[in-house]
Amino acid sequence: MTVTGPALAAMLAVCTALPALAHPHVFIDTEVEVILNAEGKVDAIRVTWIYDELYTLSIIEDRGFDPDFDGVLDSAEKAALSGFDMVWDEGYSGDTYVLAGETPLGLSGPSDWTADYVAGQLVSTHLRQVETPVDPRDAPLIVQSYDPSFYVSYRIVGTPKVTGGTDCAAEIFEPDRAAADKAFEAALEEYYGSDLEGDFPAVGAAYADEVRLTCPARS
Amino acid sequence: MPRPVLILGAVLAALLALLWLSGGLALVERQAIEAQRWVQSALAGAIRQLRADRAGALAALLGLSFAYGVFHAVGPGHGKMLIGGYGMATRVRLGPLALIAILSSLAQATVAVVLVYAGIALFGWTRDRLIDGADQVTAPVSYAIVALIGVWLMVRGWRGIRGGQGDGQTAAPDPGRVHAHHDHAHHDHAHVHDDHCGHAHAPTPAQVARLTGWRDTAALIAGVAVRPCTGALFVLILTWQMGIGAGGILAAYAMGLGTALVTVGVAALSVWAREGTFAALPAKAISRAAPVLEITVGAIVALVASRLLLAAI
Repeated sequence: MTVTGPALAAMLAVCTALPALAHPHVFIDTEVEVILNAEGKVDAIRVTWIYDELYTLSIIEDRGFDPDFDGVLDSAEKAALSGFDMVWDEGYSGDTYVLAGETPLGLSGPSDWTADYVAGQLVSTHLRQVETPVDPRDAPLIVQSYDPSFYVSYRIVGTPKVTGGTDCAAEIFEPDRAAADKAFEAALEEYYGSDLEGDFPAVGAAYADEVRLTCPARS
Repeated sequence: MPRPVLILGAVLAALLALLWLSGGLALVERQAIEAQRWVQSALAGAIRQLRADRAGALAALLGLSFAYGVFHAVGPGHGKMLIGGYGMATRVRLGPLALIAILSSLAQATVAVVLVYAGIALFGWTRDRLIDGADQVTAPVSYAIVALIGVWLMVRGWRGIRGGQGDGQTAAPDPGRVHAHHDHAHHDHAHVHDDHCGHAHAPTPAQVARLTGWRDTAALIAGVAVRPCTGALFVLILTWQMGIGAGGILAAYAMGLGTALVTVGVAALSVWAREGTFAALPAKAISRAAPVLEITVGAIVALVASRLLLAAI
């Protein structure tokens, strides 16, 4: 064999890995609000999802809303929209991940949801309680938004909000793509070394945008 | 093609593969996803316009659908693996392979149309049911066909090695053997073993016939087509719901042509890379390398597809 042999093998190895990752069909812009309690601990996250126009149109058509296609719903239709995306299959994480430093935090199911239809896009919000409130002064709080199967492509937009607390600042961080690629390769190598039954490594997190909340350390 | 140009193909393919593996192409894929996000939004606009009977709406929908197909196909997929793998493994001319790439994309669009109209119009399935069903049924079937094609390439390569053991290894090929291993091809192949024979690189009629053999053609097309593109399903269902089904069907085919553009590119690169590999080898080694390449590529395709199959069932 010539040089193309190993190269081809490598190319196909990557091909195998990516089909699940590479074809998003729903695009969601996410906005994040971090809610702190009176003690300055992170209590809950409010997540806003802004759906792409095509998926929106599908949902609207499924329900037979907006028959004149002017992008405006009447109030009965708007009320009927509420909770359209809040019936979650068992085991569905909600695509929101919260970490204190590197420790993943448990989240409640969604509550206090809203839904609206704005300029041809569905906009929904919901609240996720942090099961055990954490102090962001101990470790930076990280909120990520991604679908491990990549059927939905999330992107964090807008300016992340912080409600309550003092002097905490939230910023959107783009992932370190090079580091993510390295992590992906390492996971891939491990994957191919393991048995065929193994689940594909969940590396979506490494590629996800994230919101980081940093607060001045306690004096 | 001159030999250096041919060899460049192999080098180019190797570089692309390495770039891809090292994450260098991830940027391109991310750009493609961003583009897809934009096209998907624009598609919704065009569908609304078509529903409102605006002039030029159909042209806009078809153009955007074509673009959607192109951007969607930039990510890796089973069609590119199959066509590229076949082109790498088999001495097929680009023309027939490109034609198969186009036909399989159009067949894929046809499967999407039939699935949607049978599923929704006849059986009253919902969108979720249809799209989940397409995922759960057509994906494993498609991977199984691709895996079988991989195995078939291996079998053929193995036959080539067994039949061609005398080639290139002995200084003076035994004419009897040379003819014997081409037992089913009624052509005179003795000239291929002439060292001065530059046209050894050109496929013989028998080699071209290998592809135009209806079984290979049908298997390749089926392997690609059986798994419809989810984006096409979305648009077909939506346009049916909105009473503009004909526009949706045309859009599905436009997406197919967009996908075909990328697949034809992969076909061209695979043929170029394969011929480049052969051009880089001494003429005598080609007859030995060809079945080895066939087995290797077949094994990779079979392995990859069976992994996907296991993951999908």
